Amino acid sequence: MADEEDPQSLVGTFPEPPSFYKDFTPANVARIEELRKTAGLKDLTPRLPNVPEYLINLQPPAEPEDGKWRVFGDHYTLEDKLPTLEEVGAVSLPPTHPSRLQSSPSSSQVAQNNHYDHALELKRLTKSLLLNFLELLTTLSQNPGHASAKISDINTLLINIHHALNEYRPHQARESAAELMQDHLDTIRRETTSVREGVDRARRVLEGLGSLTFAEREASQAPVDEEAEKNRLKQQEELTLWNCADALLA
Amino acid sequence: MTDRLTQLQDAVDQLAQQFVAAVHFVHKRHDYQTLGPNDKVREVKPEEMQQTIDPLPAEDFQAGLSELSRDLITKEQQIEYLISMLPGLQNSEEDQEKSIKELEEDLKAAEAQRQEALKEKDEILAELDRVIQSIRRP
Repeated sequence: MADEEDPQSLVGTFPEPPSFYKDFTPANVARIEELRKTAGLKDLTPRLPNVPEYLINLQPPAEPEDGKWRVFGDHYTLEDKLPTLEEVGAVSLPPTHPSRLQSSPSSSQVAQNNHYDHALELKRLTKSLLLNFLELLTTLSQNPGHASAKISDINTLLINIHHALNEYRPHQARESAAELMQDHLDTIRRETTSVREGVDRARRVLEGLGSLTFAEREASQAPVDEEAEKNRLKQQEELTLWNCADALLA
Repeated sequence: MTDRLTQLQDAVDQLAQQFVAAVHFVHKRHDYQTLGPNDKVREVKPEEMQQTIDPLPAEDFQAGLSELSRDLITKEQQIEYLISMLPGLQNSEEDQEKSIKELEEDLKAAEAQRQEALKEKDEILAELDRVIQSIRRP
């Protein structure tokens, strides 16, 4: 089924989609949904152990059993770990630092000094790189035929340096994560203080405004009262005047 | 600007390239020498000589040698400096985890404070709004 190549697919600019897309008919999709439901599987584990032949393409393939696979000529593993130098096929230079030599790796002191030693180890490797280059030049000037051994020494040194640096990567990742968090924390704190300052300023303005309006209201209310009093007095005066006139006319 | 580890690896690669360049320089740009008093440099035709080596004047060759070796030493010093600048050399993995946890707690607290401050800001804003409206009314 998958092997039946459409002759036109050789001509097109883009490759044809894999032929199993034809298996994804609504009927088949519904069928596998039903199977999943009856099997009681969650979304995260969509693989069913026994499915009919015609539904085999509707579920993802199983994980590779040995945890390795190849894509585009590269090897991948399920476990994302750094292969040791021996696995790659390079000579691993033993650590030279005395504290790492004499004590077993389980002791806590080694774990604490581990990264400091790392730096020291790297410096030693770099120094011996220079020394080996000098030796290479000497060998070349005296007996060029023996130079290949020195060249492979330099090769080993370079590989070891790179390996040591790659081993250091998780450490750096944690370190930069902590740095990022610290930056974020500082930003948040700065923001909080600036917001607080703004609030305080606004509150002071409000208080100033509040006392202002209060004073104005008092000032404006007092004259109104006076005028009313005056009006009242005037009316009273007029009233008595009219009363007097009435009395005179009567 | 890459991280320090990548810088360091690049520097190591550059050092290796400098090795090659130095060997190449010595190999190609030297002049013929006599090993004993009875030796004589064989006369070669100029076009033949072009193919094997391209000799520099003795002083220039020496200058080139010393420049290349100085560059090698400088690059090596750079690498050592970069090594000593690697982040968090003094921290072990437990230290890192601890500090990350602490930072996480601090972040949570700071975030809560920020939310509180924002709420306060909203309240004061509403208050201000109310006051302004009440001023406009008459």
